[in-house]
Amino acid sequence: MESFVNAIVSGLISGSLYAVMALGLTIIYGISRVFNFGHGVVALIGAYIAWAILQNLVFSTATYIVGIVVSMVFLSGFGYLLYLLTIGPLLRKPGWEISTVLFMLGLGIMLENIILQIFGPRIKSLPIFVSDHFRLFGVRVNWHDLVILVLVILIVIALNYFFKATKTGQAMRAVSQSVEGANVVGININWIFGLTFGLAFAVTGFSGVMLGTKYYLDPHIGWDWMVIGFVIVCFGGLGSVSGAILAALILGIIEALSIVYFGSVWVWPIWFVIFVIILLVRPQGILGGRS
Amino acid sequence: MLDVKGVDSYYANLHVLEQISFNVEKGEKVALFGPNGHGKSTLLKTICGLHPAKRGSVIFEGQDITSSPAHKIVEMGIAYIPEERYLFTDMTVYENLLMGAYTPKAKGKFQENLSYVYEIFPRLKERKNQITSTLSGGESRMVAVARGLMSEPTLLLVDEPSIGLSPSMRKVVFQSLESVNREKNITILIVEQEIRDALKLSERIYMLKKGQIIFERTAEEADVKEIEKAYF
Repeated sequence: MESFVNAIVSGLISGSLYAVMALGLTIIYGISRVFNFGHGVVALIGAYIAWAILQNLVFSTATYIVGIVVSMVFLSGFGYLLYLLTIGPLLRKPGWEISTVLFMLGLGIMLENIILQIFGPRIKSLPIFVSDHFRLFGVRVNWHDLVILVLVILIVIALNYFFKATKTGQAMRAVSQSVEGANVVGININWIFGLTFGLAFAVTGFSGVMLGTKYYLDPHIGWDWMVIGFVIVCFGGLGSVSGAILAALILGIIEALSIVYFGSVWVWPIWFVIFVIILLVRPQGILGGRS
Repeated sequence: MLDVKGVDSYYANLHVLEQISFNVEKGEKVALFGPNGHGKSTLLKTICGLHPAKRGSVIFEGQDITSSPAHKIVEMGIAYIPEERYLFTDMTVYENLLMGAYTPKAKGKFQENLSYVYEIFPRLKERKNQITSTLSGGESRMVAVARGLMSEPTLLLVDEPSIGLSPSMRKVVFQSLESVNREKNITILIVEQEIRDALKLSERIYMLKKGQIIFERTAEEADVKEIEKAYF
């Protein structure tokens, strides 16, 4: 019983990490219908930037915050420019569904190799925020995991506020529901798509830092993250934010239970069996409304 | 107010509009008739910037808007109410109207315009917190018209507003167009298949066939038989 409860707790924590990682992917798809196959590498860049800053500054909470903020600001600029210079022009040509996928895939491979050139092939890891732990009803909880959980919840609340209550956020939701409708009320679609890429890349960079503190970094790990993100957004419903969060939590718990009862080699096989069943039974995902 | 001069428009290699020229005066109600697939909707989309014109020019209030992007044209005062409606289906009626007032000019007049559209469509006020995808066809059409009015337009382009509506709902929609023209002095260019309803509303008509305007009549001259004959 104790191992079961422990598994649920650690499953919820890794699930919340996966949730924030999948957010960027689902936001971009939901609004622009572009599937970002370079997503995992973008998250990885976020983690490496924070790592580089921490290497060059005296370690403290303040420098950690600087690392996270710089990484998010850099990636939001990168996302915006990437849209303006590459994705935007591709979207205006026929066959963009395929061309954008291939482009993002190629970009991911290129960025992976740039990371390899700059940082080398050796494994790195980001320091944890707080090293101690405490017990809650007999379950061991790391302070670090609790900090991650709180940060993830804050990001989700902030995004929810942004989409519901700000003019730009409402315009993004409008575009996600009808591009033509958004056009006829006077929304500049190109501008909104650019901002969407900037916002999603920033959130993705943040998730990369969180993943880097919990796991390890090497130039190729981005593709593993990409696969996890892909499973989550398909499971939850492409473009659905709440679906992605729910799916991530479910998959996190399944992962933790699989590790306890079957061993960690079984995590991906079990995930993919569930993934295939979901695709057969409910191809639009658990909360996806539209195809 | 609106001057379309020699406009040509294509879908891929298909020549949809050929040398279209016509005009709409301020405060006028003009109807555009023609068989399906002969370019009426394309013409409206070309005016409001959703479809590019290959040649010719569109002049609105003295300004050339031929190659302006759609969002700029909305800001200048042209609202397009598409046949397909293109509502924000996961948003409430109120949120759709809020998005209708997206431009800075419209934002400033939000409360005033909101009470006006609730006045002409009381049903929408009752349903303001309902998610738009759960509305009936007629109510969705009201939201589309109301959302267009929220952008504070001076020219309303209405594409087949009566399609799929019951006769009583059709009457509500046509009356609303009549009253926005009378009370707000909004110019109306309407594309319609319901010839009699549209004739009653409009002061002037154009007949569009095979991508060309084949005749123009005032409402007094217009003859239902002649129009119907032109459809075949």
